Amino acid sequence: MHDKEKDLISAFLRGSVDRRGLLKGLGTMGITAATAGTLMNMMSTNAQAADFDWKKHSGKSLKLLLNKHPYADAMIANLQNFKDLTGIDVKYDVFPEDVYFDKVTAALSSGSTEYDAFMTGAYMTWTYGPAGWITDLKEWINDPEKTNPNYAWNDFLPGVKNSCAWNGIPGGALGSEDAKQWCIPWAFEQNNITYNREMFDKAGVQVPGNIDEMIATSAKLQKDIGGIYGIGVRGSRSWATIHPGFLSGYANFNQKDLNVSADGKLSAAMNTAESKAYHTKWVQMIQESGPKDWSTYTWYQVGTDLGAGASAMIFDADCLGYFMNGGDNKMAGKLSYAAFTANPEAKASTPNIWIWSLAMSNFSKDKDATWYFLQWASGPEHALFGATKMDFVDPVRQSIWKDEMFREKLNKKYPGYVEMFDASAAGASIKFTPQPLFFDVTTEWASTLQKMVAKEVPIDEGLDQLAQSIDRQLKEAGLG
Amino acid sequence: METTSTLEKSLRFLALSLVVIFFMFPIFWIFLMSFQTNETILQIPPSIVFTPTLSNYAALITGKLTTSAGTLDIAFMRNLGNSVFLSVTSVALSLVLGVPAAYAFARHKFRGSEDIAFTLLSFRFAPPLLVLLPLTQYFQWLGLSDTYFGLIWVYQLICLPLILWIVRGYFEDISADVEYAYRIAGHSWFATFRKIALPLAGPGIAAAGLLAFIFAWNNFVFALVLASADKQPVTVGALAFVTSSGIQYGQIASAIVLSVTPTLALALYAQRYLVEGLSLGAVKG
Repeated sequence: MHDKEKDLISAFLRGSVDRRGLLKGLGTMGITAATAGTLMNMMSTNAQAADFDWKKHSGKSLKLLLNKHPYADAMIANLQNFKDLTGIDVKYDVFPEDVYFDKVTAALSSGSTEYDAFMTGAYMTWTYGPAGWITDLKEWINDPEKTNPNYAWNDFLPGVKNSCAWNGIPGGALGSEDAKQWCIPWAFEQNNITYNREMFDKAGVQVPGNIDEMIATSAKLQKDIGGIYGIGVRGSRSWATIHPGFLSGYANFNQKDLNVSADGKLSAAMNTAESKAYHTKWVQMIQESGPKDWSTYTWYQVGTDLGAGASAMIFDADCLGYFMNGGDNKMAGKLSYAAFTANPEAKASTPNIWIWSLAMSNFSKDKDATWYFLQWASGPEHALFGATKMDFVDPVRQSIWKDEMFREKLNKKYPGYVEMFDASAAGASIKFTPQPLFFDVTTEWASTLQKMVAKEVPIDEGLDQLAQSIDRQLKEAGLG
Repeated sequence: METTSTLEKSLRFLALSLVVIFFMFPIFWIFLMSFQTNETILQIPPSIVFTPTLSNYAALITGKLTTSAGTLDIAFMRNLGNSVFLSVTSVALSLVLGVPAAYAFARHKFRGSEDIAFTLLSFRFAPPLLVLLPLTQYFQWLGLSDTYFGLIWVYQLICLPLILWIVRGYFEDISADVEYAYRIAGHSWFATFRKIALPLAGPGIAAAGLLAFIFAWNNFVFALVLASADKQPVTVGALAFVTSSGIQYGQIASAIVLSVTPTLALALYAQRYLVEGLSLGAVKG
């Protein structure tokens, strides 16, 4: 490589030239975008290596357990850079999402030393952490000997970072001072609206501004377009039905899943008057404008219907709408995005989030070397690579959201995505109360919702019964 | 002689046709789906008229899957190979161990024989997940974790009791007098087993082997827990088409067609043995 090009890229990596300046400069030197990308990776690797002893664990080998996901694909596409940077060999096992957490649970509960690090959701660490299966990563994050100076832990979005930290006390606030960092956020999903522009234009409706408007808009779309249903939300008997749109709207009315008393006891909080009012509206919306077989709907059905043009909008993960706007989906290129504020009195949306994170197995044979991988995979360079070159959305680092190329990429193909993110990122966090019965509570909640939608039980009565049942379970577990 | 009226014949034909259509339609629909793209599969309303494509089969065979999130590597053919290897070797090992054992249990009454036979059968009662977690630890200590040898060993939990108990019943149904006559002619115990008992029990052994093969082929959880991604059978591999960025219905359908074909062909070829072997071996009287 010529010195001029090297100097220009080095200047960019130092921050003295912006991205536009870099591309313009490389362009005048006759360097194509693809070549520029390769040079950037090479120089970026060199730049990282200059500040930190990345070769400390050279010659070692790690094994990862990964879920079949675009985030894992982005990492695998960039993995050679890590190998070159550190001299550490990395092997990985990729399992389909349907069985992924069974594999993780089996590996961890049997104390398997096969895997050093793995992908997880923050909710799962509420089980893995107290069981002693995963490691508190604060020890490594706070050690300047082990963490490279450019890692920029404070660059992570606070709500996301804190959602991955818990002190292990049932009901303890996420991200508290004494919290353990059970996992490092990798990329996350905010729950907002993805809608079909063509259908909205045809029906002459605007993006709904609150839950009442969402009910009315969904009904009008269903009536005016014909052959479709108004809104896609999940409905299977699973925790996954509660956590996306439903809980995001619920939290916007300042409602909670559980109360935590002064002495740390937990009790059900979903039978308040406000909660009953919200449930009534949610159930009405599904009955009027949801899919016919809503009670079987998971991530896959909600997304597939939007992509195939069977639904007009979804209130679900933003990246689900992102994926459906590409590939061979019939509606590719016709989808837009908007933040959703369910409560007319709320100032901004408060999306509950799912965070794909990286955790370190407590049975790892070499935790220091594993941390080298974790800090690289969650570091700013890989985040930028994933966000600009692959489908690593939503990035968890604030600096990536400020990156012009990334914002341009989104604005070009995903109208409204950046505005959606900017409007709701501040309020984005996990809205559940961390506690070991998380999956029991949410599954029963989903089951109650199913009964309400099927008109098997009135809303008030259903929520009272749900609260009683949850209180009983919490008491039996010594939590209530 | 009993005669059947034309009306009765027609009604019977209609009823049978309806039953066949009811049971065969999903398979027929999956077969059609395997020649369609996601877009045509998901069109509203669904249509039976489409331009067929071999792209799904091409993706499976080449190992490159194009999704909305880009091109992904898939290991379906490797999964298929793993299923064939694991099922065939497990059943073969079970036959080698199980048939002589079944003969011994059927012909020779010895102390504890029933207890041993029942213990072997009880392997079928244990919920796999209950057994698998302790097994994972033992396998690590023994160095069998993530090995084909370890998996074939664990697959004996599925195949061995099945073969042993079906074949045992079959041996018991064969008259011992034939064997005694052969022994009186001066032949050894092993020669009697090989020349008389085995050929007579042939259909039963074939039926047991086939059933064991189907059970082994359909197993899901053993390899999932005990082995890494490169040793997974087709039952796990087929799930790879359900991704966060979308469900690849066409590839799922073609994967089903490809994975069902070996067992279907085997079952069709040997269905006479299957029914005969089961009815003679498992049901006494």
